Amino acid sequence: MGVRPGLATLGAEPETWVATQVGGALEAVFETVAATRADTEALLHRVAAQGRRPASADLAALRPGLHLHLTREKLVSGVGFVAAPGLLTDVPAWLEWWQSGAHGDVRPLLLDLDPGRSAYSDYTHWDWFALPRDTGRRAVAGPYVDYLCSDEYSLTLSEPVRLQGGFAGVAAADVYLRHFETAVLPLLRRLSRPAHLVNARGRVAASADPAHLAGSLTKGPDFGALLSAARPGVYGGMRLVPCRGVPLVLVLA
Amino acid sequence: MHEVVTVIQQESDGTARRAVFSPVDNRARVDAVVRRLGDAIELGLLADGEQLPGESELAARLGVSTVTLREALMALRQQGLVTTRRGRGGGSFVSLPEVPADDRLRARLRGWSTEELRDLGDHWAALSGAAARLAAQRTEPEDLRQLRRTTEELTQARDAAARSRLYGRFHVELAAAAQSARLTREQVALQSEIGALLCLVLADGAYREEVADRHRSVISAVQDGAHETAGTLAERCVRESTARLVAVRLAL
Repeated sequence: MGVRPGLATLGAEPETWVATQVGGALEAVFETVAATRADTEALLHRVAAQGRRPASADLAALRPGLHLHLTREKLVSGVGFVAAPGLLTDVPAWLEWWQSGAHGDVRPLLLDLDPGRSAYSDYTHWDWFALPRDTGRRAVAGPYVDYLCSDEYSLTLSEPVRLQGGFAGVAAADVYLRHFETAVLPLLRRLSRPAHLVNARGRVAASADPAHLAGSLTKGPDFGALLSAARPGVYGGMRLVPCRGVPLVLVLA
Repeated sequence: MHEVVTVIQQESDGTARRAVFSPVDNRARVDAVVRRLGDAIELGLLADGEQLPGESELAARLGVSTVTLREALMALRQQGLVTTRRGRGGGSFVSLPEVPADDRLRARLRGWSTEELRDLGDHWAALSGAAARLAAQRTEPEDLRQLRRTTEELTQARDAAARSRLYGRFHVELAAAAQSARLTREQVALQSEIGALLCLVLADGAYREEVADRHRSVISAVQDGAHETAGTLAERCVRESTARLVAVRLAL
């Protein structure tokens, strides 16, 4: 009887495989975000090269790309660029944001961002905006009820857009939680123990475990620390496996 | 025998179906359109002098017939909230009359019976109470930042319209903290109905303070995970506001 290839077996553990697959599903969405970020930065640089500051009309050049992402990337239901207040010359704030309609159509989000009329005009405190701005890195916000843009229970993936070294806003994509569940539930159900996925704060993002439904909190473990360490752990009877590249943890009861 | 049963069955089906597809009470639809547009004008969502879309487009967007829309526009003209100009460059325009906003709001409140206000309050209490109970079970401290920010902004807001927008935002954020998209959507829809009316009770600085205090105690209970207390406090807050509105209505 030969020696078992220990490391290889560890790598092939079903929960490690599932965690990697989940990371991969969101990685595809992050590719959309990165492409939007690159398009936006290129556009902003072109405008700067003309010796002027950008206006909201300039962002119309992003539309063909945004429409393509919406039709091609199955998980993405909303995508766009959200400008940092003060970036554009003609408006104080702006979302160049497009969404998939119920019948496969693509439509713009038109928000009233006038603080004199809307109580929701300031979007700079939402996690999808604040996290990339404050950390300089990409982020996954949610699950949360998105009452600003879609009225859906969502995950929003975003990353900072930079212009001449400064923060210009965020490129982002929305994944409705019901679509995320459709994508990952078959993976979770392959595992022999009841499994669910939580974010860094312990909020359940998808679950094959009726004791832990989406939106509830799994209390106890410090999921943030586990994600920073990027190594599997154990808490009580639970096994915890970080998903590679995205701030989600696979929890096995 | 079998045939007879079938015929009776068809007849009763027919009656029920005719009722389903009979026209919705036209008066109610006119009132609903008058309220919707009137509230939007009071809240400043439609600005003074702004041109409304053409009749057929507006009717289509509101999902009513042009006849219904015309009746509603006529009522809004009578209230002085809309003017209509004929000919080139004509159309319907938002116009804020010279009478003080308070008087206009009172005129709008007169369009509500106390029974309707009571029912609206019951619906609101059901939504906010349920949201507070769920939020207490599902919210972690980070999520409470938005509710706190809204409460602090409420204590700073100078005019009644801004106060009512923030009051509404608190309850929308509470529903979002419950992690329920459905409760949130319902709360947004409810606030679009009650928002303008709340200006009438929030103009009073002392009551504004009371609301802010009530919101703070809801936040504390949610933070403590005391879900029954949170629910009861949220319901009380909402009921008190509705009771004040009813009192204003009865004094008209």
